[in-house]
Amino acid sequence: MNAPATPKYAAYICSGCGIGDAMKVGQLENIAKREGKMTVVKSHPFLCNAEGVQLIKDDIANEQVTHVCIAACSRRAKTEAFQFDGVAMSRANLREGVLWVVAQGKEHDEVRQEMAADYVRMGCAEVKKMKQPAGNVKEASSKAILVVGGGMSGMTAALEIAETGYEVVLVEKSGALGGMAGNLWKRQPFKAPYAEAQDTGVADMAARVSSHAQIKVHLNSTLAETSGAPGRFTVKIAQESGAVTDVTVGAIVQATGFTPYDMAKLPDLGGGQANVVDQVGLEALAKAAKGGEIKRADGKPVKSVVFVQCAGQRDPSGQHLSYCSGHCCGTSVKQAMYFKDQNPDIDTVVMYQDLRLPGMGEDFYRSAQQKGVIFTKGKASKVSGGDSCNVTFKDLILDEENTIPADLVVLATGQVPNAGVDLEKWNPVVTAAEGGDEAAKAQRDEMRATQSVLKLTYRQGPDMPQFKHGFADSHFICFPYETRRTGIYAAGPVRRPMDMLQAIDDATGAALKAIQAVENASVGRAAHPRSGDLSFPTARLEGCTQCKRCTVECPFGAIDEDEKRFPKFNEERCRRCGTCMGACPVRVISFENYSVDTVGSQVKAVEIPEEDEEKPRILVLACENDAYPALDMAGLARMNYSAWVRVIPVRCLGSVNTIWITDALNSGYDGVMMMGCKKGDEYQCHFVKGSELAHYRMSKIGDTLKQMGLEPERVVTQEVAITDNARVVKLINDYVAELDKLGPSPMKGFG
Amino acid sequence: MTTANQAAIERYRNNFLKEVEANVEEGHMVKMCMQCGVCAGSCPLGPHWTHSPQKIFMMIRAGKRDEVLGSDSMFMCTSCYNCMVRCPRQLPITHIMHGLANYAHRLGLAPKGQPTRDFATLFWNNLSKKGRVNELMLTLQHYFRNGLVAGIKEAMAMQGIGLGMFKAKRINPMEIFGGHGVKDLKGFHAIIAKAKEIEDRKKGFTA
Amino acid sequence: MTASIATNQTILVVGGGISGMTAALEAAECGKQVILVEKTPVLGGRTARLYRYFPKMCHPTCGLEINLRRIKQNRNIRLMTMTEVVSATGSRGNYSVTLKVAPRFVNENCTACGKCAEAVSAEVANPWNYGLDKMKAAYLPHNMAHPQRYVIDPSIVGTPEGEKAKAACPVGAVDLEMKEETVTLQVGVLVWATGWRPYDAAKIQPYGYGRFKNVITSLEFERLADPHGPTGGKILRPSDGKEAKNVAFIQCAGSRDENHLRHCSRICCMASLKQTQYVREAFGDEGKSTVYYIDIRAIDRFEDFYQNVQKDATVSFVKSKVARIAENAENGNPILHGVNTEGYQRYAVEHDLVVLAVGMEPEITGVKLPDDVILDSSNFIEGSKDQGMFGAGAAASPLDVNRAVQSATAASLRAIQVIRKTASTEAV
Repeated sequence: MNAPATPKYAAYICSGCGIGDAMKVGQLENIAKREGKMTVVKSHPFLCNAEGVQLIKDDIANEQVTHVCIAACSRRAKTEAFQFDGVAMSRANLREGVLWVVAQGKEHDEVRQEMAADYVRMGCAEVKKMKQPAGNVKEASSKAILVVGGGMSGMTAALEIAETGYEVVLVEKSGALGGMAGNLWKRQPFKAPYAEAQDTGVADMAARVSSHAQIKVHLNSTLAETSGAPGRFTVKIAQESGAVTDVTVGAIVQATGFTPYDMAKLPDLGGGQANVVDQVGLEALAKAAKGGEIKRADGKPVKSVVFVQCAGQRDPSGQHLSYCSGHCCGTSVKQAMYFKDQNPDIDTVVMYQDLRLPGMGEDFYRSAQQKGVIFTKGKASKVSGGDSCNVTFKDLILDEENTIPADLVVLATGQVPNAGVDLEKWNPVVTAAEGGDEAAKAQRDEMRATQSVLKLTYRQGPDMPQFKHGFADSHFICFPYETRRTGIYAAGPVRRPMDMLQAIDDATGAALKAIQAVENASVGRAAHPRSGDLSFPTARLEGCTQCKRCTVECPFGAIDEDEKRFPKFNEERCRRCGTCMGACPVRVISFENYSVDTVGSQVKAVEIPEEDEEKPRILVLACENDAYPALDMAGLARMNYSAWVRVIPVRCLGSVNTIWITDALNSGYDGVMMMGCKKGDEYQCHFVKGSELAHYRMSKIGDTLKQMGLEPERVVTQEVAITDNARVVKLINDYVAELDKLGPSPMKGFG
Repeated sequence: MTTANQAAIERYRNNFLKEVEANVEEGHMVKMCMQCGVCAGSCPLGPHWTHSPQKIFMMIRAGKRDEVLGSDSMFMCTSCYNCMVRCPRQLPITHIMHGLANYAHRLGLAPKGQPTRDFATLFWNNLSKKGRVNELMLTLQHYFRNGLVAGIKEAMAMQGIGLGMFKAKRINPMEIFGGHGVKDLKGFHAIIAKAKEIEDRKKGFTA
Repeated sequence: MTASIATNQTILVVGGGISGMTAALEAAECGKQVILVEKTPVLGGRTARLYRYFPKMCHPTCGLEINLRRIKQNRNIRLMTMTEVVSATGSRGNYSVTLKVAPRFVNENCTACGKCAEAVSAEVANPWNYGLDKMKAAYLPHNMAHPQRYVIDPSIVGTPEGEKAKAACPVGAVDLEMKEETVTLQVGVLVWATGWRPYDAAKIQPYGYGRFKNVITSLEFERLADPHGPTGGKILRPSDGKEAKNVAFIQCAGSRDENHLRHCSRICCMASLKQTQYVREAFGDEGKSTVYYIDIRAIDRFEDFYQNVQKDATVSFVKSKVARIAENAENGNPILHGVNTEGYQRYAVEHDLVVLAVGMEPEITGVKLPDDVILDSSNFIEGSKDQGMFGAGAAASPLDVNRAVQSATAASLRAIQVIRKTASTEAV
């Protein structure tokens, strides 16, 4: 982009939507000119219409305007109209932030005007500190994609990626493609009429993968080391033989699947006894029978079989798996059909507590019933194995204890994800190892060598963070692919317990995300949630004190440490939340268009009235994802909140640097309120930990306040949801009342 | 234990569901029940029977032959069809209940002294004798089923209605002497006998 | 609008709910040209009308905000609201699609200032609250409406009320002369993300929906619990506006039922479990929720949520498909009749309010689709014969949000592959 060498600043003030009726626009223009030091200042009665927009475009084209402050509606409104390429832009929110929230009427004219004036000052101050990011195009960026795991999910991802025109490197630790799916005799149906078990298609698929010109398969191989970032991952692929191949890829799909829960842990249910098998064991027997009579390990034909559902699953005691693996009801139904299809006289009982066959699974269930499979709602308490097995259970419908004899018992055990090292366990070991503990060093190396899947050289550990129960996920609902390691996508049962149909969908989705990741990396574009953002963090390392906060706190593991223990930013891993910027005690980290200065200058731009004017000023730092929209919607609903507040949207509370708060208090603000998303286990923060970190940092601010002679109430942090428009109003007004009781800040006049 | 019953037990070993499927009207639908219980809640006679339809179906699947065939529940069905129209699996529950009643009756396992069953037996015996119902005799036999004293008591309690029907010529006292039958009584009996023979053969009761 | 905006390199996404937005965005963020058509005046679909999501109890509008931000800044996406697909002919890589665009009567000048709504007094039933309340006939559909433009209800066009709206608009955005338009586009591939609609509860006769005021659907309950809904988030029952503290949730209302929907709608168990927590949120220990169910289908990690709800003393579970509902004429309480099948126990229980966990019916049920589209027995879209059209999200299968997004992302990639193949064939 050819940005003109000399910056030229312009402010455009809209007088539409009633702004001009309620505020003195001329005065705002003067402020923009005199205080905001804007070279071009114009007002327009309808800035967002074609004519208004053209006015700005003409100035950019003819007057070489490089920086634009739009003082009109919220930055969330009329986004499409106010979109100017290559120009830095700030938005002063006069409509949702002033006009619609300050009480109507002449008696409020003065405070309304002051508020509007401050927002114009802030918008001008901000834009002057901004640079329009041009993006960091990387010619050498790799667009190849590594798929780890050659099961159904991995093969699907590989084929889908290759079919979209990208190179794939597939690494499979065993000697053949197929994974767990390859162990199956048949699979559940994916299409209407959902009545019969189907051929798995694994052989065909494996053949397609092996012969695909754009897929390179490494069998008997694992990852020995993965370093780098999206667009430039360097991966060492180690073969069983010891040979190591280096490949460069742009993104990674981790489809490492699951291991069945160990039956041996279920002795009460017959785990470990003869003629008690798990579902994988039954598949082996069915495969051996090849559609003929299914025989037990001892060679005897099976005339009766009982399937015990939820074996070692849905266990609230904490002893076994607490979750449901989702596929097992369908799998047992399918397996019961193996018997019925071969010989309808074989007795098959599926013993369940809740039969979980969602969607069209209901048809599959019906089909099994049609074939004569008996479904019994009951909870098995004891299974005795041996030549004649017995299943003792509580029949929940007939309300009695009962026992069924069976030649074979199948335990529907759950899926345990192959997700690698649990970072929660890894971190303390590493901390101890770094402290010099030799045993910890050995344990760390052992964990990396034997447990890790990806063997990332990241500062924050060798695998993806796990969410719950060891699954590599990040608990998003709306954005299921957003792992906490940019460019690395989990797919299939390693991410969430799932059946084959879902794993195929999941792997296809992950394939798309991986493709997006390599494309983003090649042009320096951010991944979700700030998708398209071309800014990236830079650090003035000469000021860095090597405190490591940024490397530790980055929710996405984007920052490593170099040999000299300086932070090493991996821009392609960065999600642009600014948590590093908020963490930095010496304020050396910034983005081109979002920095300590862009916000700090806004804080300072606000005019602080003298104490005797009795006009308090309260700084609100609002998360742009939820709190700021909630404030906008309060405006849309014409709810009134105090005109003493000045709101600054931030990318995430995690990006809030304490200096903004101390600066604000030093310059005479009476209070600072931070509004961010919900933190904790059920966090709603789009950057995972930002809100939590802000709360933590603020809990430490007490000492600073004490030194300044300020009450702790001068700084508060609130968790706010996007729907909380009424609540944010109340929070503000209550806080204003509280500060009123506290009296004006003693710092006024010293600023 | 009757021979038919013995034979059935031997033939189906331990598999009562298969026995029901083979011998009971619409019995093949029993396995399609998913135990939602809407039939149980829909039955107007619900408070009066021991086992709900859904429970009977579960008992069949659990092989509880004696309990099912000895249950009073299927005799309580009034054919209101509430269960059937609401069943999410479209099981012909009413038909299955009648089928089960019929099967239990044939095997001689139906509960003794179950009033609706007794009345049905009385009705059939009365009807099949002359090809039409002798209402007077049916009424009297019904009243006196539990002995003379109880019969007199019941008859006295109903005397107002009885007299009214008598006056309206709805009951003919002369029917006490046997009443009149259908024209071709012999033919009628032959039809019934043939029908029974066919059904027995179908359901495996051939002597 | 002219057809030139699209080519056979364009992906047409039908439906602007969570699945459609996802399918469109994921393709657009891969650099593909996308046209996103939505039948209603705004994006967001079904999920935008939910109060909270299970299992995090977070708000759907939070994710909507992110998606809207992505859409607003992405020039690869062209959004057409109030637009329906009338027909699609042609084949993989080369479809001709005819769209019908209904008049909004408000042009792009609208700034959402709200003057038209102030001027108008006529009211219409509010579809965003499932008709539980009324709104002005000049309206912004909801707080996060995108496009953020008002809509004039056709019922006031040609009336003095319509003229009032027009006169009130300071920017000349109200255009009462707008007419329905038909637009034909050439596109390479179609993604049907048409979503679902609640099964018509009135068809489940024994439950008395429509006859008994205090029998409502799970979607209506979402609106009652939502602070932006008709009651301001208070759980008040329709008959008398009293607080409904004792709430019954009936599962499989329409689903898993051959008389209605033969499939399991997957989401309803979790939705009801979530809604029991609305009752708790509103009334604390005073609240009481009873879930009547056949099987609780809290699949995978949702089981954690189920186990937590089971620990909640205000929530009880009855394994029973409720047989019928009667009404206590004195207090308007619905009375539930049925049998607890676990051990067998008859009940006739009064509740303040009954919430029917209604099933998901594909929105396209009854709509004429291109012959090529393959439907399953419940009218979910399996795909198309020549693999140039795909179902995404709840149009393809009854799915929760997470899985719908997964499905839509996958559909998006399949669409990209069609586009790519079309391009390479043309290059030859």
